[in-house]
Amino acid sequence: MQIHMDNAGGPIAMSGEFTFSDHVPFKQMVTEIFAAPGRSVVIDLSKLDFIDSAGLGMLLLARDEAKKNHRELILRRPSGQVKRMFAVTKFNTLFTVEE
Amino acid sequence: MFGWKQSNAAAAKPPSPEPSPALAPVAPSQQDELMRRWIAFAGMQQRVIRTLVSEIQQTSAVVETEADSLSSRFQRLAVCAGQQTERVESLSKLAMGIEVDGEAIAIDRIAGLLEETLSDVVEKILLLSKDAMSMVYALSELNGNVNRVDSCMEELNKINRVTNMLALNARIEAERAGTAGAAFRVVAGEVRELSSATQRLSVDMATELHAVTQGIENGHETLQRVATIDMSQNLMAKDRLELLMNALIERGGNLTEVVNEAMKEAEVISADVAGMITGIQFQDRTRQRLEHVVDTLRVVDEALDELKTTTADVLDEPVVETTIDNEWVKTLLDRFTLGELRSRFVAQILEGKQPADPSETEASPSQTGTIELF
Repeated sequence: MQIHMDNAGGPIAMSGEFTFSDHVPFKQMVTEIFAAPGRSVVIDLSKLDFIDSAGLGMLLLARDEAKKNHRELILRRPSGQVKRMFAVTKFNTLFTVEE
Repeated sequence: MFGWKQSNAAAAKPPSPEPSPALAPVAPSQQDELMRRWIAFAGMQQRVIRTLVSEIQQTSAVVETEADSLSSRFQRLAVCAGQQTERVESLSKLAMGIEVDGEAIAIDRIAGLLEETLSDVVEKILLLSKDAMSMVYALSELNGNVNRVDSCMEELNKINRVTNMLALNARIEAERAGTAGAAFRVVAGEVRELSSATQRLSVDMATELHAVTQGIENGHETLQRVATIDMSQNLMAKDRLELLMNALIERGGNLTEVVNEAMKEAEVISADVAGMITGIQFQDRTRQRLEHVVDTLRVVDEALDELKTTTADVLDEPVVETTIDNEWVKTLLDRFTLGELRSRFVAQILEGKQPADPSETEASPSQTGTIELF
C-alpha cells in the first residue's frame, strides 16, 4: 500500500492493497494527521484496490483515534472490492463514506 | 317428391284422351281403390312409427347408459380435481417456507434470521480485527519501551565499567600511599564490591529483559499470525449468502405465484366438472321428453290402427300392399346416412321384422363408443 499525503492539508490518498503488513506506516500516518490541527480528515480510497480484515480493523482504530481527538474521519470514493467490503460490514453506519 | 301424384293420377285417370271436368264425381270403385291405398299406406306409416318408437327408445337407453357412465367418470374426475386442489394447496405452503419442529417458517423470515446471524458474525469479525490490531499496536509500543530499557541497561553497564575502573585506580593509588592510604583502600574495595554487585544485577536484569523481549516477540508473532488471517472472504460470504437468499426469496415468490394460479385453475376445473355432472344429470329430463314423444307416437299408431280397421270393414276386397309404398319407403331410407340405422329400418319396415326390445339393446359404454364416420 502507498500513502500519499498533501502537506497543504488536502486529502490523504491510499492506493494498492491495504493489509496487516501496512500497520506501521498507517499507524505513523494516523499519529501525524491527528497531531496536526483541523476538524475533519479525508482519506481518498478511489485507488485502493483491496482491503483485508486487518485493514478494516486499522480503519476502526483510526476512527477511535479521531473521536479521541474530536475529529472526523471521512472515507471517500471506495470502489471495487473495498466498496463491497464496506457494504457488507455496513461501514457507512460507522464512518462518513462519501461516494 | 315420392311420385304419388303421378302414380295416383295415372291410376285415377281413365285412358280417354278427353280431359275430364275438374270437379267430376269420383266413381265408387275409384273411392275403394283410394281407401285401400290409404289403408296400405297407413300400415306402412304404422311400421315407420313403430320403428321410430323403437329407435327412440334404443337411443334413449344408449344416451342414458352413456350419461350414467359419463356422470361416473366426471364424479371420479371431480374427486381427482379436489385432490389435485389439495395437493396444489400443500405445494403452495411448501413454496412459502419450510417446517422446523412443527413450526412453519417463511423463506423471508429465514432470510431475516440468516441476515441477523451473519451481521452478528461480521460485527464480531470486525471487533476481532480491531482488537487484534490494537494489540499489535500495543505490543509494538511495548517493544519500543523494552528497547529503550535495553538502551538504559547499556548506559548502566558503561557507568558500572567506569565505576569499576575508578575503584581499581583508587586501589592502586591507595597501595602507592602505603599506610596513609589504608582507609582509602577500604573505600576502594567497597566501591569495587558495589560495582561487582551492580554488574551482577545488570546481568540478571539483562537476562530478564531478554526474556521479556523474547516474550513480546513471540506474542507479536502469534498476534501477527492471528491478525494476518484474512477474514475478508468470510465477510464476503455474507454478501454471497444474501444474494442466494434473495434469489431464493424471488424463486419462492414466483413459485407461490405459479401455485396460486394453478390453485385458481384447479378450482375452476373442479367447478366446471361439478357443473358438467349436474348437466349430465339433466339427462333424466331428456328421457322424460322422449318418453312423451314415444307415447304420442303410440297414440297416433293406435289411432291409425283403429281407423284402418274401421275403413277396412267397409271395403269389399282385402287390402294388399303395393310396391308404390315400398318405393316411397326406399326413397325415404335413401335419405339416411347411417348404414346401421338404415339396415334396421329396412328389416323392420320392408321385411316386417319385429323391433328389438329396448331393454335388451341397452349397450355398455364401450360398445357404443364407436362412431360411424361418413
